[in-house]
Amino acid sequence: MHNFTRRHFLKAFGITSAAALTGIGLTPHAAHSAGKAHVVVVGGGTGGATAARYLKQLSPSMAVTLIEPNATYVTCYGSNWVLGGFESIEAITHGYDNLRDRDGVDVIQDKVIGVDVDSRTVRLESGDSLQYDKLVMSPGIDFKYDEMPGIEESDAETIPHAWKAGSQTELLRAQLQAMPNGGVYVMVAPPNPYRCPPGPYERVSMVAYYLKTHKPRSKVIVLDPKEGFAKQGLFEEGWAEHYGDMIEWRGGANGGRVEEIDVSGKTAHADGGQERVRADVMNFVPAQRAGQIAHDAGLTNEQGWASVDQRTFKSVMDDNIYVIGDASVAGAMPKSGHAANNQGKIVAAAILRELSGQEPLDPSSASTCYGLITPDYGVSIAAVYKYQNGTQAAVEGSGGVSPLGQSSTFRRQEAEHTRAWYAGITQDIWG
Amino acid sequence: MKHSRLFAAGLVASLAMAGTASQAIADNDEITRGQLMAASCKACHNAAAAEKGVPDLSRVSAGVIQSQMRAFRDGEREATIMDRHAKGYTDEEIEAMSVYFARF
Repeated sequence: MHNFTRRHFLKAFGITSAAALTGIGLTPHAAHSAGKAHVVVVGGGTGGATAARYLKQLSPSMAVTLIEPNATYVTCYGSNWVLGGFESIEAITHGYDNLRDRDGVDVIQDKVIGVDVDSRTVRLESGDSLQYDKLVMSPGIDFKYDEMPGIEESDAETIPHAWKAGSQTELLRAQLQAMPNGGVYVMVAPPNPYRCPPGPYERVSMVAYYLKTHKPRSKVIVLDPKEGFAKQGLFEEGWAEHYGDMIEWRGGANGGRVEEIDVSGKTAHADGGQERVRADVMNFVPAQRAGQIAHDAGLTNEQGWASVDQRTFKSVMDDNIYVIGDASVAGAMPKSGHAANNQGKIVAAAILRELSGQEPLDPSSASTCYGLITPDYGVSIAAVYKYQNGTQAAVEGSGGVSPLGQSSTFRRQEAEHTRAWYAGITQDIWG
Repeated sequence: MKHSRLFAAGLVASLAMAGTASQAIADNDEITRGQLMAASCKACHNAAAAEKGVPDLSRVSAGVIQSQMRAFRDGEREATIMDRHAKGYTDEEIEAMSVYFARF
């Protein structure tokens, strides 16, 4: 490793200030091919924080800047357990001290408001701007409120989505706590594709757990535009065992398709106007798209997601920008925390290899998605992905859901593994 | 302005290393496919997860990782989930990833 500091260089070449450089005709392209590249990572969630950490761990001499608007990040995974009443919001909140102090990532609390791909510059809300050699965007999701008549984004203060964790989670929790025994919780589930495919169904499990414990005469109704959902057999088995008829799921063909939401009446109009479902607590999870900055940077397709070369997660729109996490189109990899974590590692390796002039790898990664039906009853879906034939494909014969009809011991083990998974992956990302 | 100064410093350093880019960027050896596969496993198999009963693979030898992954894959060891994962790897891939765990 070179031990050639800036001070040495300046001394050797008789340059006394960095500013003097701008006067000698150097272009940013000089840095592009060279060793000490600057990688800017946008978004300190699961994908972005993983990418920043692994870039720095794999190549300590690289300059890595992580830009995140908030001082802490609350994971969406685990937030349903807060709604269940047996986990605290603090336990799913993570800071950046270890990335900054131990890994040497330059963590800047600011918001990216624009990307100029020609000058390779990101503009920040504070007025600063940053130049990059490579840009990793992990912007997460935003909502398409315009696809549901009757409701707009500001209505999330009364009808929470709680699909970005934090204050929204706490709002929904407070509404459930204030709901009378015998009340009705209605989840309006999103159409595909969306963040965390089994998430709505773990959510209603956890809400039912809370209600069964504290308000047992209450009812849980899921209005779903889809005809089926992730781990459906496992959820339905667990619901029948633990919640009897408390949870009612209505698929798209059975009156689940909501056409309008009456916000002041907390009522969902479904089934071609035939059905009006009134809620005491309504939880509307809107249709989704990539986070706004991905659109502003011109990285999204007609469906609102960012298409990438799934081998490296490089944007198909720009040679120096990579998009990972929920915002990207990643073949068989779902929009999940574990996929984003894997993609953070894949993109770190891809960037290092490209900057080193090496051929890209054909990455392979493993992913597990756990969910709780009660605090002691877990279910899972596993997958191994390999890049082949131009896409991130699930390896044939591997993965799949945990088996139905298992003992309570098996389910308890899966619940314990759910908590171990959370502890492990958050340690890997922010710990 | 702090950031532009940082960038300029990076530029200076990069100029100093012009021509030796690959040595400068790869502080360690070339990143391999096996290393990337092992990094994926690490999300669940690290010290924090070990406190909740999932093995920390940085404390497991390459030989044991190989034999156990094959046992999970071939149905010789019971599991709640590792059987489903192990079926996703060939012998060569299991060997390639196994040597990296001790380096974490």
